[in-house]
Amino acid sequence: MPDIASGTGKRPVRRIILDAGIAAAVVAGMGVMRGVYSNELMLFNFIVFLTLAQGLNIIYGFTGYLPFGYVGFYGAGAYGFSLAVMHLHVPALVGMAAAGGAALVLAVILLPLLRLSGAYFAIASMAAAQAVYEIVANPDLESITKGPYGVSLSQVFAPAASYYAALAILAFALLLVVWLRNSRFGMSLQAIRDDPVSAAMAGVSVVRGRTIAWLLSALVAGLVGGVFAWHISVFYPDTAFDLSVSIFATVFLLFGGATTLSGPLLGVFILYGIYNAIGIAVPQYFQFTYGALIVALVLFLPNGLASLLTRRGIRVP
Amino acid sequence: MSPEPLLKIEGLVKTFGGFRALDGVSLHLHPGEVLGLVGPNGSGKTTCINVISGLYAPDGGSVIYAGRSIGGEKSHRLAKSGINRTFQSPRPFLSLTVRENVELAAHYGDPKPGFDVDALLALLELDGYAGRPAAELNSAQQKTLDLARAMATEPRLLLVDELAAGLNPAELSRMAVRLRALAGSGMALLVVEHLMGFIDKVTDRVVVMAAGKEFFGGTLADATRDPEVIRVFLGGGHHG
Amino acid sequence: MLPAGKPVLTGAIIAGIVFGLYFTLVGLGLNLVFGVMRIVNLAHGDFLMLGGMAAWWLFTGFGLHPLVAALLVVVVFVAAGLPIYYLVVPRLLRSRDSEMLSLILFFGVSQMIEAVTTIGFGATERSLPPRLLGVGPFIVLGTRLPKAWIFSAAVSALAVLLVYLYLYRTRLGTLTRAVMVSRDEALATGIDVNFVSAVAFGISIALAGVAGVFAPFILGSITPNMGVALNITAFAVIVVGTLGNPLGTLLGGIIYGVSLMLMQTYLSSWANLLPNLLLIAVLLIRPEGLLGRTVRRA
Repeated sequence: MPDIASGTGKRPVRRIILDAGIAAAVVAGMGVMRGVYSNELMLFNFIVFLTLAQGLNIIYGFTGYLPFGYVGFYGAGAYGFSLAVMHLHVPALVGMAAAGGAALVLAVILLPLLRLSGAYFAIASMAAAQAVYEIVANPDLESITKGPYGVSLSQVFAPAASYYAALAILAFALLLVVWLRNSRFGMSLQAIRDDPVSAAMAGVSVVRGRTIAWLLSALVAGLVGGVFAWHISVFYPDTAFDLSVSIFATVFLLFGGATTLSGPLLGVFILYGIYNAIGIAVPQYFQFTYGALIVALVLFLPNGLASLLTRRGIRVP
Repeated sequence: MSPEPLLKIEGLVKTFGGFRALDGVSLHLHPGEVLGLVGPNGSGKTTCINVISGLYAPDGGSVIYAGRSIGGEKSHRLAKSGINRTFQSPRPFLSLTVRENVELAAHYGDPKPGFDVDALLALLELDGYAGRPAAELNSAQQKTLDLARAMATEPRLLLVDELAAGLNPAELSRMAVRLRALAGSGMALLVVEHLMGFIDKVTDRVVVMAAGKEFFGGTLADATRDPEVIRVFLGGGHHG
Repeated sequence: MLPAGKPVLTGAIIAGIVFGLYFTLVGLGLNLVFGVMRIVNLAHGDFLMLGGMAAWWLFTGFGLHPLVAALLVVVVFVAAGLPIYYLVVPRLLRSRDSEMLSLILFFGVSQMIEAVTTIGFGATERSLPPRLLGVGPFIVLGTRLPKAWIFSAAVSALAVLLVYLYLYRTRLGTLTRAVMVSRDEALATGIDVNFVSAVAFGISIALAGVAGVFAPFILGSITPNMGVALNITAFAVIVVGTLGNPLGTLLGGIIYGVSLMLMQTYLSSWANLLPNLLLIAVLLIRPEGLLGRTVRRA
């Protein structure tokens, strides 16, 4: 009898340790950097995109649904936080709960979108994000949302606390991905992505699996949106619902390789690193480069950098 | 044979737009029995399996399984309650390993505690590929994996959709032996098949379908002598 | 203050039909590409914006009338469409999930176009004087509409008619319809599927370009970043019509135009919500009817 223990023996434990180690190293690294490097806003933005890319990974990498309107949850979180702070005068941490809650409510409202197949889902989610933006930024709702004029949250401004809150959310998102990569539930999501009919015949509830992934993914984006509002404290609806947030997260994820833990991390560190290193005087050059990169990735490397290794049978953490 | 059938279908109707793919099919199946479902292309055989396995909700008639009506119930619930199937073209989870394919079904499909995934892989001669991605298997192996995935949920009723197509004679007879062994263990099998030799080897009796309804039930030998069956198949249903 | 009464309603509906003809043109090319290649050109709105920029540039730089600009845009866009097709689409169609990947790929193209246009023309709004297309109002059933609207709608109707004639009265059009029915069958019968598709792609972006030429008159102004919103609009139009059926676009365009005018008349500050909500609603309410053929074909 050949060796069949390979799938059940020590390797999964080693995998979990490796995955968790990478996650811990990234979180610790970003924490230490704050004391070393003076440009806090840039580090904060790194955390935002590291987290968003993993949040998108949860839904795209594990279920195959790519929401172009992912920024909608980010915006919902930013406004969930802002409305709670502005109108209910709650402390920032309660505002963060409102941010997560707002994104979850939006995700529940949009659950029916999961009935659509890939391309229609992507476009419908984009339309949904636009619709939420149109509502939030509507001058008729100025008394509630401040409409297009933006919000100011100076009463809760706390750069250090919000930075560490962002770090905690990053840790949460990384742990979710580590769990999905090493659990039966994550395996069931990949099965659904590969073939939903067959997955159902394996006893997997397709609707339940997709719903959980969708809600988790939305929750991550909502929390990031909330902590963005907290950290920045003055912003406009155009910023909170800026489609380039979706674009960036998508490009980072695709570039590194979805379904892996390290792929999206690499995508952010490499691409966002270059973006910041060169400077953002003419953002259009980056818009063009990212556009071209998307085209090239789809044509030549649809599964990202990670696939260069997985193609050769090497497991990428 | 127990008096109460495990599966009892009465007047099953399924329409797509205006087309009646199933137009009042009735059949029944006992534990340990292998029923062949034969008929020309488009006669509704696969649709019948799709309805029983919860892929489509029926538009009329009833599906009674183990004494309860299951028409329209979700596939994953049926899988947990003992109904499973294979697919005409196999549908394994290509990005998972062979073992993970089976392990997943053994976890979510509610077999008895202590179900031995590795023993099943060995039984179906897939143990040599356990750690490999399912995408690397050839099509006959993928069909076997499809069967393994179904068996990992320990079904009482197994729906087998064109398992024989694309298998070589050696693989065919091995597959026939496997299906007979499953029936021997008390499983009920509904086998849709074009290869009459395979039907002959595997089934206890057959139901012949045409245009969405059954019109003959009995042994395959009787079916091949029935003038109506011969007419429907236009002489295409060779025996053996 | 809400305008009320029957004349207002009639006016909104008539204006809606006029706009509907224009929106048919906006969606038509997108649907043609979907029908022939089963891919979603998410840069459609950006090609439209390019047409608008071309019209603005040709008028302010050379004093060319929009109608001349439209003809030039057709020639240039068809010519540009062929190489773009051959560069990306055949390779795209060989991939496992080409429909989904097309969306991502053309999203990238969309970003590239928007960036280049912003660098070249700046991000400011551009508009053209409406008097170019006629002075004074045009009266339809007692409703006064700007002549520029009527002109734009007439050109749109003409373009739709020409596409119909192409598909049903020319040999290449017949082959195009064959590819729409089944790409594989068409390939098997020896049709040069890639050439037929490349021409369809060229026509598609030329239609977007022509719609762009008239965008300043219908939409008021054009900016380099208008593409995303227009993509949603165009997609809403073709989903409301029938996906993959170019002529069903007419139905979608009219429904869209009339709903937009009703929204602008009675709920003007919320009118921007319309394309988004309409798209989501139709996708959700009639998914089988509109998408039945495309759901998980793999």
